[in-house]
Amino acid sequence: MANLLWLQGGACSGNTMSFLNAEEPSACDLVTDFGINVLWQPSLGLELGDQVKEIVEKCISGEIKLDIFVFEGTVINAPNGTGEWNRFCGRPMKDWVKELSAVADFVVAIGDCATYGGIPATAPNPSESVGLQFLKRDKGGALGEGFAAKSGLPVINIPGCPAHPDWVTQILVAVATGRAGDLTLDEFHRPKTFFSSFTQTGCTRNMHFAYKVSTTAFGQRKGCLFYDLGCRGPMTHSPCNRILWNRHSSKTRAGMPCLGCTEPEFPFFDLAPGTVFKTQTVMGVPKDMPEGVDKKGYIKLTAAAKGAAPAWAEEDIFVV
Amino acid sequence: MSENPEASITQEQRQAYIDKYGLTPAEAGHEMLIQMIEDHFAEGLETEVEPFPETDREFGALLDQLRPLSADQLREKLVISGWLLQPYGEDQMRCQECMYYLVHKRWCDLPELDLPAKPEWWCRLWRI
Repeated sequence: MANLLWLQGGACSGNTMSFLNAEEPSACDLVTDFGINVLWQPSLGLELGDQVKEIVEKCISGEIKLDIFVFEGTVINAPNGTGEWNRFCGRPMKDWVKELSAVADFVVAIGDCATYGGIPATAPNPSESVGLQFLKRDKGGALGEGFAAKSGLPVINIPGCPAHPDWVTQILVAVATGRAGDLTLDEFHRPKTFFSSFTQTGCTRNMHFAYKVSTTAFGQRKGCLFYDLGCRGPMTHSPCNRILWNRHSSKTRAGMPCLGCTEPEFPFFDLAPGTVFKTQTVMGVPKDMPEGVDKKGYIKLTAAAKGAAPAWAEEDIFVV
Repeated sequence: MSENPEASITQEQRQAYIDKYGLTPAEAGHEMLIQMIEDHFAEGLETEVEPFPETDREFGALLDQLRPLSADQLREKLVISGWLLQPYGEDQMRCQECMYYLVHKRWCDLPELDLPAKPEWWCRLWRI
């Protein structure tokens, strides 16, 4: 039996909604098959007010062993570092977060807000939001760079806006069943098993990427979304096209550009107008190249690919 | 298309196309449009090649100018997009390498232009 407590800071509840859609394993499987005891969860918990406070206090005092502390949303520090804008059970949430993290065996940050600050931490960041152990790419966050949970692991970051439900449940199962030692984390504390490949890995539009045929308007089923519509699939680490959403699709498969939501910088370009669904270029050449590709190589590749592109690459080849 | 009077072809311009080709650009097919474009340049058409849109804001501003134009406003499309019938710049940029160019259809797929083009042509909306 592993006790799990889930709290929420500056959040939209999107990760909770995502979590409830998990299938392999499902949220119910966590309880029935993997022995996870959910002490409380903001959308699922039956307790209210003082009853919740009692659970949380017992975790901090050690009366209830806290195996896994899950946090969704940013840690809010406004106004002026007090955290008063996000009060929970009578005090700033950021104080609960620090104390619970100190007693938990594992701390898991779910979603881009809890991991790196996400949209709330975008400039000018009025809520003074931070992630648990990062603010965008900078180490530190609410718990500090040197933080390690009692297990010895730093915060385990499962980013995404939202995180895919099965990434969440699979990591929770690994931790709850004593297989945390199998987890290796990348420099941004993401489990490598999910975040070593790219969103582009498995994308059904890869042929169009290879032959440099662009999607030029929403709704088109031909073409690659990278060249014009701002898709960040070639430089975003996620398994969105390997572990499909709702088990059968993904943003790019549905014609929606990847927004890079599993990367610390998300949302990119501080959401300046015209940046979200538009590939940013300098003199016609993309500012952000596919990872590992330089400008010279990109230009050469483009010339070769366009020259070799077959006629079918210019057609909508998808069928219902 | 648009209520904007500048965003529609004048009767005079329409008649000139009909007198010369028997139809307007909106009614013309691939080869006829190529002919119309080449004829515009042969008649001395000068397009706004500079400034090249260096940022996406500038690029978007050009698209905003093109979007209200009707399919008959071929001349305006060519002028605003900085269309040329040869490669441009030090790097000899040309349609062939542009992301919007469909090499088999020999067509510019940028919705705001939506015109036939030859591989050696170029315009300032070029991007790769």
